[in-house]
Amino acid sequence: MRAIAFAWRSLVRQPARSTLGILGVAAIGALLFDMLLLSQGLVLSMRDLLDRLGFDVRVTAGEPLPGAGPDLADAAAAAARLAALPSVRSVTIVRSEIAGIERGDGRSIDAVFLGVAGSLHIWTILRGRDVAAPGELVLNASGAELLAAEPGATVIVRASCADENEAPPPAAFRVAGIAELPFERPDESTAATTIASLEEACGGVQTDIADFLAVISAGDAAQAAADIEAARPDLSAFTNDQMIGRIEQGGVTYFRQISTVLTTVTLAFAMLLITVLLTVSVNQRLGEVAALRALGFSQRRVVLDVLCESVLIIGIGGALSLPCGALLATWLDAILKRMPGIPTDLHFFVFEPRALAIHAALLGGTAIAAALYPMRIVARLPIAATLRDEVVS
Amino acid sequence: MNGVIVTASHVSRVFPMPAGPVTAVRDVTLAITRGEHTAVRGPSGCGKSTLLHMLGCVDTPSAGTLVFDGRDVSALKDRARSLLRLRHIGFVFQRFFLLPMLTAAENVELPQAEAGAPKDERRRRTLELLEYVGLAARADHRPSQLSGGEMQRVAIARALANRPRLLLADEPTGELDQATGEHIAALLDRVNADGTALVIVTHDPALASRARRVLTMRDGCIEGEATG
Repeated sequence: MRAIAFAWRSLVRQPARSTLGILGVAAIGALLFDMLLLSQGLVLSMRDLLDRLGFDVRVTAGEPLPGAGPDLADAAAAAARLAALPSVRSVTIVRSEIAGIERGDGRSIDAVFLGVAGSLHIWTILRGRDVAAPGELVLNASGAELLAAEPGATVIVRASCADENEAPPPAAFRVAGIAELPFERPDESTAATTIASLEEACGGVQTDIADFLAVISAGDAAQAAADIEAARPDLSAFTNDQMIGRIEQGGVTYFRQISTVLTTVTLAFAMLLITVLLTVSVNQRLGEVAALRALGFSQRRVVLDVLCESVLIIGIGGALSLPCGALLATWLDAILKRMPGIPTDLHFFVFEPRALAIHAALLGGTAIAAALYPMRIVARLPIAATLRDEVVS
Repeated sequence: MNGVIVTASHVSRVFPMPAGPVTAVRDVTLAITRGEHTAVRGPSGCGKSTLLHMLGCVDTPSAGTLVFDGRDVSALKDRARSLLRLRHIGFVFQRFFLLPMLTAAENVELPQAEAGAPKDERRRRTLELLEYVGLAARADHRPSQLSGGEMQRVAIARALANRPRLLLADEPTGELDQATGEHIAALLDRVNADGTALVIVTHDPALASRARRVLTMRDGCIEGEATG
């Protein structure tokens, strides 16, 4: 009988104890899995959102995050200069303002008012069509719902562009479609149009400025960023990788630290749980182990039996922990996403195959570590003394 | 000596204890030859089981030499001693020590599997042994479904699984009533008659009297030897 089959029989022999052990590992493994998803989740989700924007280099007048630095002046000239670089395929000017949008029936919202100039529209059309002519805009689903506006509806936009004391001129826009924007928040309304239409809505003040330029590289984003900074040293170019790097250096490290601490704690609990279970189990059958040794079973074999028991408990518990962890992650993600200002498509717990591999490796290591002490007991078991003690007891 | 399986020359076994070392076996010289039937008698604590454990290579002497099949047991590594026990020595214990999660057949098959016997051969040998001890019909029963005598018969079958040259039995009837003990004694006689050397440690005079050679121990020493 192979060691693994023998270990299985040993587990079945104590069904209640084995079940408790497996359930304990399943609970701990689920937490471990969630910690692994959390440790990289925000970064992966952020990368996904950045990739979905459709460009790989953002050019600003300072800080990489929109709104964090000064506006980029002479945007059209800058865009033209950058578009001429061989490492750049296209450049889109992106500008955002705040606007009040209302319908004739009295419904009104405050929205982010986005304008782009270039081939890239950083949104996805859900219903209707994209902006195709001056005086058209797309609304995000939240804004469309609050305004009860469907494609074809007319809305009035009062943009706040330069001087907030100056009353913005109302401008009529036709809703061309309903769109989804990668970084939109659940409670945030957004409207998007062309730069020209946005500037017109702004009353022609402060034209030719941008929050940033969205650059699609010719293939090598890092090269494009370097070329841009060489061509326009007054501008800063950030690839998506650099953006992620900055995010990782910032607040996300807290998640990673918390995840590391909780991972260590959960693994320690798993190890202690299995060590205790196996130690109790081994101590209850020292006589049997000594008898097997007397019958010629090698030290290696009885040690392997204990290790296999540990691997079975942790293996079965670990397998059960994955669906449990996935459910728990979904629940926790929903709780965290209720925090204000979190974009709808941003997730804290994101699955990646690497997490599964790390989960398996950590639990495997825990199985071995948990079995070390009980393995030591059977390895060092004095056969004759144990047989004698068993008879005396 | 021709036909010698194991030889103990001036062996002693001392156990370190908090109150001072205890000598369980003192300067014993003994040889077990092929096919012989020996009983070791003596009061509790006289060193019978310790001597048996040394003859069975599960314990090594503190002093003296123990030679099994021409090899100095003290010089063997644990792995080699395990292999020696697996292939040449069978053990029968007072408390049976059958594995409760395995059937009678699986218990008998286990040492054969450890010795690397092919599956078909294991099955055949197991059935043969269970028939030998009269328990072929209980092959699929777990130890908890067997009586004490039946468990000891399975334990004897397990001890014989790898065709050992030497069978060591430590109080094999100690947990059994008199009638069942008689059956086990008769079975052990048959094992010996079929060619396996047998050393039995026992308190039971009736069981000891069945042996052709009876050693009496006291205070770790062999006090007397009788042959019949």
